[in-house]
Amino acid sequence: MDFVLDYISVNTFWTILSITHALLAVALLGALTHQAAAVLAPPRARAAGGFVTHFRSVSGPKYAAAVCVLWVIAFIFGGWIYTKYRIYVRIPIEQEGFWKTLGSFELKEHLTTIGLGLLPFYWHLWKNARNAAYDSARKWLTIVLAAICWYAFLTGHVVNNVRGFGS
Amino acid sequence: MSAATETAAPASSRFGTFALVFGICFAILYVVCDMAALPMFTYHPGTDRIDPGFAPARRDEGPAMYWYGWIATSALGASILGVLAALLPDKIRRKIPLALAWVVPVALLPVLIYSLKFYWRW
Repeated sequence: MDFVLDYISVNTFWTILSITHALLAVALLGALTHQAAAVLAPPRARAAGGFVTHFRSVSGPKYAAAVCVLWVIAFIFGGWIYTKYRIYVRIPIEQEGFWKTLGSFELKEHLTTIGLGLLPFYWHLWKNARNAAYDSARKWLTIVLAAICWYAFLTGHVVNNVRGFGS
Repeated sequence: MSAATETAAPASSRFGTFALVFGICFAILYVVCDMAALPMFTYHPGTDRIDPGFAPARRDEGPAMYWYGWIATSALGASILGVLAALLPDKIRRKIPLALAWVVPVALLPVLIYSLKFYWRW
């Protein structure tokens, strides 16, 4: 990747990676939230409804592959950025003594990694969306992944506020 | 194929069993690797050095990172266990509760929070 640095600065390069990671997270958060709403409170009929009804009326199976791909790519970007975070972000935060912020971020890493390992089964459950035996596992696994994604997103946002772009 | 067969068949598919056991074991092994310091390798971002297994940070070379090594150890262990589970007879594979896929991560959450107790300073 060094050839890229002939055209842009090192800071610009890592900023682009970080923003891409954030944008992927936004897309993933949207997809998983729609899907979780659809399994948690499925609309009773296809009759016209308001915003909430439309929000939860998405076709869950159509989101599954996108969720898996977005999670994996966002994870790869996060893992890549993590090398720089460890030196240029975490150490200054340690020096400032923001321990709970660091702990929350560590928990985010753990949870997103566990979520990564659950993706093959999540995909399998949605691929067989017509199998009634999977309904409960599919519903709760989707909700767990959505909760992990929300936690990761908010924690990442907080860490970025503490020491992110431009710091 | 009857409707009953149609709905029951995928629940015991070999891939489904592999994916379920992989997900459960990956989560458990990851937490064990984290708490017992069992990375497959250690990465030193300051110098781009990779050491096998657990290696402490070297003086004047910046911090050591174990996260990638934990993922590698957990993925390897979970893959082996997943394949072994997929090879089990259908009758046994059907008995693995699907709910473990979400119950295990939820149950591991307090363990993870406890493992990070160093950071919860008030």
